[in-house]
Amino acid sequence: MKKRNEVLYFALRNKKLLIGSGIILIFLLLAWVGPAFAKYKPFDYANPLGAEPPSTEYWFGTTFFGQDVFSQFVNGLRATFIVGLLGGGLGTLVGMIIGFAAGYRGGILDEILNAFTNIVLVIPTLAVLLIIAAYLQVRSLLMECLFIGLTAWPWAARAIRAQTFSLRTRDFVDLARLSGMKPYKIVRREIAPNMMSYLVLVFILQFGGAILTAATLDFIGLGPTNAISLGLMMQYAVLWGALPLGMWWWFVPPGLAITAIVGALYSMNVGLDEIFNPKLREM
Amino acid sequence: MRRYLTRKILIYTLTFFLAVTIDWLIPRFMPGDPIRNMLARVSVASNASAIQMMYDYYARLFGLDLPLWQQYLNFWKALFQGNLGISTYLFPTPVIEVLKRAVPYDAFLLIPSILLAWYAGNNFGAIAARSKRLDNFILPLSYVLTATPYMWLGILLAWFFGIVLGLFPIAGAYSFSLRPTWSWTFVLDLLHHWFLPFASLFIIDFGGWAIGMRNMIIYELEAEYSRYLTALGAPQRLIRRYAFNNAILPQITGLALRLGVIVAGALVTEVVFSYPGIGYLLLAAIQNQDYFLIQGCFLFIILGVLIANFVIDLVYIVVDPRTRRGMVGESA
Amino acid sequence: MRKLALSVFTMLILASLLLAACGPATTPTPEKIIQTVEVEKRVIETQIVEVTPTGQVAPTTYPRNETLYVSGAAWGPASTWNPFQPGMLANTTGTIGLVYEFLFFYDPLTDKFIPWLAEKGAWTDPTTYEVTLRKGLTWSDGRPLTAEDVKFTLELGKKYPALWFSPLWTNTGLTDVTLVDETTLKLTFKDPLYQEWENYLFNLPIVPKHLWENRSEEDITTGANENPVGSGAYLYLTHAEDRNVWVRNENWWGIPIFGKPAPKYIVDIRTSSNNVALGMVVKGELDLSNNFLPGIATLAEKGYVKTFYEKAPYMLSANTAVLFLNTTKKPLDDAKFRRALAFAIDVPSIVNVAYANLVKAASPSGLLPTMSKYDDQEVIARLGYTFDTAKAKQMLADAGYKDVNGDGFVEAPDGSKIELQVTCPNGWTDWMAAIDIIASSAQAAGINIKAAYPDYGAWNTALQGGTFDMTLNNWAQMSNTPWTLYNLLFRHPIQEQMQAGNFGRYVNQQMFDLVDALARIPTTDETGMKAATSKIQELMLTEMPVIPLWYNGLWAQWTETTWTNWPNEKNPVSLPTTWSGYWQMGGLQTLINLKPAVQP
Repeated sequence: MKKRNEVLYFALRNKKLLIGSGIILIFLLLAWVGPAFAKYKPFDYANPLGAEPPSTEYWFGTTFFGQDVFSQFVNGLRATFIVGLLGGGLGTLVGMIIGFAAGYRGGILDEILNAFTNIVLVIPTLAVLLIIAAYLQVRSLLMECLFIGLTAWPWAARAIRAQTFSLRTRDFVDLARLSGMKPYKIVRREIAPNMMSYLVLVFILQFGGAILTAATLDFIGLGPTNAISLGLMMQYAVLWGALPLGMWWWFVPPGLAITAIVGALYSMNVGLDEIFNPKLREM
Repeated sequence: MRRYLTRKILIYTLTFFLAVTIDWLIPRFMPGDPIRNMLARVSVASNASAIQMMYDYYARLFGLDLPLWQQYLNFWKALFQGNLGISTYLFPTPVIEVLKRAVPYDAFLLIPSILLAWYAGNNFGAIAARSKRLDNFILPLSYVLTATPYMWLGILLAWFFGIVLGLFPIAGAYSFSLRPTWSWTFVLDLLHHWFLPFASLFIIDFGGWAIGMRNMIIYELEAEYSRYLTALGAPQRLIRRYAFNNAILPQITGLALRLGVIVAGALVTEVVFSYPGIGYLLLAAIQNQDYFLIQGCFLFIILGVLIANFVIDLVYIVVDPRTRRGMVGESA
Repeated sequence: MRKLALSVFTMLILASLLLAACGPATTPTPEKIIQTVEVEKRVIETQIVEVTPTGQVAPTTYPRNETLYVSGAAWGPASTWNPFQPGMLANTTGTIGLVYEFLFFYDPLTDKFIPWLAEKGAWTDPTTYEVTLRKGLTWSDGRPLTAEDVKFTLELGKKYPALWFSPLWTNTGLTDVTLVDETTLKLTFKDPLYQEWENYLFNLPIVPKHLWENRSEEDITTGANENPVGSGAYLYLTHAEDRNVWVRNENWWGIPIFGKPAPKYIVDIRTSSNNVALGMVVKGELDLSNNFLPGIATLAEKGYVKTFYEKAPYMLSANTAVLFLNTTKKPLDDAKFRRALAFAIDVPSIVNVAYANLVKAASPSGLLPTMSKYDDQEVIARLGYTFDTAKAKQMLADAGYKDVNGDGFVEAPDGSKIELQVTCPNGWTDWMAAIDIIASSAQAAGINIKAAYPDYGAWNTALQGGTFDMTLNNWAQMSNTPWTLYNLLFRHPIQEQMQAGNFGRYVNQQMFDLVDALARIPTTDETGMKAATSKIQELMLTEMPVIPLWYNGLWAQWTETTWTNWPNEKNPVSLPTTWSGYWQMGGLQTLINLKPAVQP
């Protein structure tokens, strides 16, 4: 009980955590209620005059076709959070299972899992998506999440394995082993808690990574074909000459939002890190 | 030691074999027909029978009229002769030739940006871990940098420095008014075009490495051995040296993975700046359904990842004594 | 800090090594350049190979006032200079037109053939065509171009069925080519397709027999033909991943006849995106852009760039965007439903919104403005369609299509639900915007149509395999005959894979006969052609198996900082284009007419 209070005490005073979660909350709120405030649907040709800078009628301006950038933006944000949560979550889960098993067990299991990780790592994820894309006439957002989660875990697995590897030779693990503890318990009780902040970092990296991967896929034209996303907004902006025509309102918001969300996640992570590790606070 | 290496090599060979098989499956798995797509690209003023004849001709040429197992064997045979087939997008150029032209640009852009970013990022990260004041500045900056999507930074740089200020060209590897010659004009022009894509890659990678290093060092500084050394009254410098040496290990793993996915990582940057490396080529190949070229690009990526991983395995043996214990297996 | 400096230094060395490594691939060695000069008859002048006192090749920059920068023609990196490779030509668009030439050129603006390699050509009787070549024609290697070369080229098509023009022998009716003398050929036909033959006259490039006769079949059909030797106004100079560079042939046989093309160098740039091309045009780095650039109307209004027309549609029309309806699927097999659909599509919005007025709505006949004399105005007035939601609803109701279940969309007369999909390749944003409008305007009329954007490969498979519902296509370019379009729309017979037309698999023997009859009408018989096209239009508008919607433009925007005297609506002498297949339709003439801008 005392510990929890202590955590809360420091959490409320940790600027990094507060700022980070503040930003996330703002964007989350925007993604939640924004679409209700948008006057137009993302793909409606709302403005008959085509591209126009932000105004009271079109808060974020309009695209080349006169589509409302604000509407695309808030709907795209929604897609971004979904991809981060589902894609990043799935990636972390798979990465933890494989990383712990390989790192703690070592030996032949490690080799097999390592080979498996390597294969998944070298299978060109783009190619797989390409095949999927060719089979399905329409790609959905959920499929993108699944795809990102199932291909992004090797990074997490690698990192967790390496960390487990060095932890398992530490004295306290040896001690636990000598006392006859089961491997699963050792991982859960001794190893995982000792790298908790590392795991949080991994999840946050996966969350952010999923958002960035989705943006990349969308940007090169392999994104969802029936939805809007921040990456697709950037693709359309570049494709339709927003740069030379100076339509900055088209490509600045989506990139800025991604940067802010992912950056805020990282900032939250450092904050949490400092809260959980008193040592870091003393520095 | 030898047993360890033999096993590693065996696993890498197996991985290579499987990955290449999957790679071979790509054009065969596609529901579309590469030759039909190629012939359809520009409408031909000829009748159906002529198109069928042309189709048969090209199918023979690409070896697509043979039974599948035969195609598979031929693929391996050709692979060992360095023959990756013919590109349909750049017909009749062999895929290997196309790749050869793109690789130097990749190396020129990516090797300096990745290595410099790694080096500078690690150093700044280590410095940040040392000083609270620097940490407060470098850390948020690094987080923002590493959170920036590659294409967005590329777009911003291209827009601001290329279009608003007009300082740098935003497309291509060298000016359209030049012919490649060994002259200062050309080399300077090459560097002029190289700078923005380089900068956008460097800046983002830098942020990532700096954070990674900073976090690792802080972990190491709280590790048992650091506390023990502090208790013994060892000089701070020595402890930091140890911490750095241990913290660098995951960073090396990271570097290997980064070098391995060199191509995928630079794809969007190359697309934004129309820089003619493998990533740019890959996108063109995807857009043009050139499965043979896609296959070649992926083979290149597979090799890159495998070699980078293998080298790292070797490096680990040298730099991390703990690994040497682990590699003998559970029994130790 | 010293360590950092050291590694930066190492990095620079590394970089320079890499630079050296990529050298041989992109840098021609001095010896090679000199060799090229000898082979190509000293055409490349000293300006390029400037020998400095030390004996080194000077750095080369193409002089700005002698160079024409163009873009929008090449689709991909240069990979072949073989004039017989279909499709691949898309990447080195000057190969035919600038290097290899044709018997005739064709001017679509006046609908006239221009004698080119041929001095004259005519049907001496219904099955004999006689061509006389000009005297004094030469290849760029100095050898004379004679009737032998023409005969050789034509006969390649007989020998190798894999060549794209082999149907000349199997379909068009050519049976024999005889040499009369050094410059005269007699071509014998059996049941000739006159319309198709005349299309070959300005599309079949003539190659030199002395360099091609010893080549293998594989070399002829699939070889890359590096360093092409042709007869045309330009020569191959160099290429890179993103450009083709041509240099003027100072010994071109046509200079005394047609005049000398103004630019000494043509740098044909493959811009990776609209983005890049647009930026280059605005900065004056690109003289002529033939890319589809959205937003160009705004720039033209402000005077940044010039276009053919000063006002909308700004561009000439190059091809017709047609909506193919899959007539094998219900309810698209019902002509009444198809006709109602034609009235339901909001073409004005496609023109205004999707294209920002860069295009024009198409004539219901589908024929381009250059072919408008073949539009039967009476038929179009009687059977044509315009956007009219109310009328479309009425027509649907009359044909028995009613909203039975109250979901706002009509059901088929037999009560079954109607759910259709209109498609175009993903990423073709202007078409994507267009099919969005098609879907929403059809929905407004009560037809449940949804837009979908499959990837190109999947789209193409569905197109040729006939598994789509309705889709856009524009594969018939500007041509000398209305037959080109109708051949695309009503190609037959219907096969498992429809690769070059009639994707909707419309079966109507009467229509097929009409198109075949048109192909057999001599091109001199304009009245006969008009009668034939009138019948086709009548049947087409009654049955409505395809719906012509709008004309895609001959995208062209240019600046006058370096070159002036471009063709435009006040000076409509040629086409301002560098597209493949258009050099011989006025593209080269544009180059000949250009004048250097007065440099301040």
